[in-house]
Amino acid sequence: MKILIIEDEIALCESMSTYLITQDYSCDIATDFAAALNKTEYNDYDCILLDITLPGGNGLKILEHLKEDKKTDGILIISAKNSLDDKIEGLNLGADDYLSKPFHLSELNARIGAIIRRKNFEGNNLIEFKNLIIDTRSKVATVNKSPLELTKKEYELLLYFVANKKRLISKDAIAEHLWGNDIGGNFDFIYTHIKNLRKKLMDAGDADYIKSVYGMGYKFTDQ
Amino acid sequence: MKLLAKYNRVNIPITIAILLFSSLGYYFILHYVLVHQLDKDLEIEKQEILHQVKESNALPETSDYKDQQIKFTVSKVGNFKSNFQTEDVYNIIEKEGESYRRLDFPLTVNGNNFVATVRKSQQETEDIVQLILLITFSVIAFLLVILFIANRVLLGKLWKPFNNTLDQLTQFNLSGKNRIELEPTDIDEFAELNKTVIIMTKKVSNDYESLKTFTENASHEIQTPLAIIKSKIELLSQSENLDEVQMNILQSLNEATTRLSRLNQSLLLLTKIENAQFVQTEHVNISSLILKYIEFFEELAATKNITITRNIEAEQFAEMNETLAETLVSNIIINAIKHNISGGHIEISLEGKLLTVSNTGSEPKRPTLEFFERFKKDAASGDSLGLGLSIVKKICENYGFSVFYKYIDEKHVVMVRFIPGLIN
Repeated sequence: MKILIIEDEIALCESMSTYLITQDYSCDIATDFAAALNKTEYNDYDCILLDITLPGGNGLKILEHLKEDKKTDGILIISAKNSLDDKIEGLNLGADDYLSKPFHLSELNARIGAIIRRKNFEGNNLIEFKNLIIDTRSKVATVNKSPLELTKKEYELLLYFVANKKRLISKDAIAEHLWGNDIGGNFDFIYTHIKNLRKKLMDAGDADYIKSVYGMGYKFTDQ
Repeated sequence: MKLLAKYNRVNIPITIAILLFSSLGYYFILHYVLVHQLDKDLEIEKQEILHQVKESNALPETSDYKDQQIKFTVSKVGNFKSNFQTEDVYNIIEKEGESYRRLDFPLTVNGNNFVATVRKSQQETEDIVQLILLITFSVIAFLLVILFIANRVLLGKLWKPFNNTLDQLTQFNLSGKNRIELEPTDIDEFAELNKTVIIMTKKVSNDYESLKTFTENASHEIQTPLAIIKSKIELLSQSENLDEVQMNILQSLNEATTRLSRLNQSLLLLTKIENAQFVQTEHVNISSLILKYIEFFEELAATKNITITRNIEAEQFAEMNETLAETLVSNIIINAIKHNISGGHIEISLEGKLLTVSNTGSEPKRPTLEFFERFKKDAASGDSLGLGLSIVKKICENYGFSVFYKYIDEKHVVMVRFIPGLIN
């Protein structure tokens, strides 16, 4: 899976590529408008991460070029502007999703996964982890072929975990993923969700994959 | 006080005083002139009598007409200075006092001394003075009325360019696109004012534009370093060989960064609402919006064993920006969950356009109105930013909706009415 990161902040580029490489993606980087245009023209990517404010031009122009060339690369807009106009314009121009800075790398990874799955209509909708299989089309998770009775948020949480498997996910990343940006506070309620999900997985005969990592967050791992 | 009223408050008393003083002076001068005229007539009469006595050497006949009376009385004194005086005589027939002007002078006929008295009625003089005064007062009254009307009409006309400028300024809206267009005027002061108004509004608009750009840029500049810090913390926390102490440090860093970024986003949102940057209004179905958010947060409420009862009237709409409507509703519901007790209860109802959310919770330690102010929060909710209700209030203010928050019967009650006007 190939990803192009178009972002002028080198430090942020490094963070994103480091995280994404651990998730078995290969990453290409463009830090200005000209490089971005050049790379998108001669290569095909599974997903392009596009910052709107770039030295040398507006990121939305790249989006326009891609659509003119009828390219089917998935596009995730990343903007610090958090401006509604940019979001609406970007989505209207054919971007697949929009993420405003600052974001969690785990959230970025989950969004990229979702975009790629959506692009591959004929491809596999099944995400597997040991005995656990998640069908993202019917939104059903099964353990050893018996379906789990999950609530909506438990399903989303499980998908988020599996998408970021073996990575530590902070509590606030989980809270914002499930409940949106307006949620604040101490995120103690996350514990209840984790507890319920863990119980359902174990009742279905799966191992306890969800590990608590000090007070920081959780990791979905078989180790 | 209106300028005209203030001006009149000085102008009218002074005008009246001057007119009164001048009519008083007028009266005295007129009176003096007429009496003087009367005295001249009496003097002529005296000369006639003296002439007659000289010619005939006999006392002339007395006469007693209404307007002129002549009589002679015997006098011991032969020679005295003739003198004028005014006297009031009661007229029995007309039953009123009449004033006369009389002249006494010595007269010697055949060696006998007499006092000759010539008396003329002053009535006509008085009448003339009265008539003249009446005319004067009528003129004063007429002048005042004319002055009053002229002030009204003329000043109204004179102030028209000013009032027009004022109207335009009142309707001037920075976020709106309407420019100020002022009527040309030939009055120098107003032309000067209009010139200044145009220069100022242009400057204000430009400043506002640059402030908007600055706000956007500031957010950009802050969000990017925050994004870098956040991503680096996340990467660092992935390291396999971190001990608990190091992890706790990372955890604190992460919490602070999250807080900072939420703070930045909330303040940015408040600034944007304040600057009325959410211009686009839609016909928002608040009924389905509220139901959507209840459903969205139901599982969150369940983690605290909070039950939600709802009574939402269908197909209710509000004219507002959809993003702001979502922020408003989600903030209120999140508040009701966050500041609730374990095993508590939330009641959400929408009757007409009135949304009422009441939830169980501990009594607030400060007056509920203060929670609408920025950064005011209960000591118990340490992790809260204290901006949720400020945002709710700001959104309501933006559309003229009224919002209400009170602690009644051990319940927090928040009400929002989705049409401009007050909650009664």
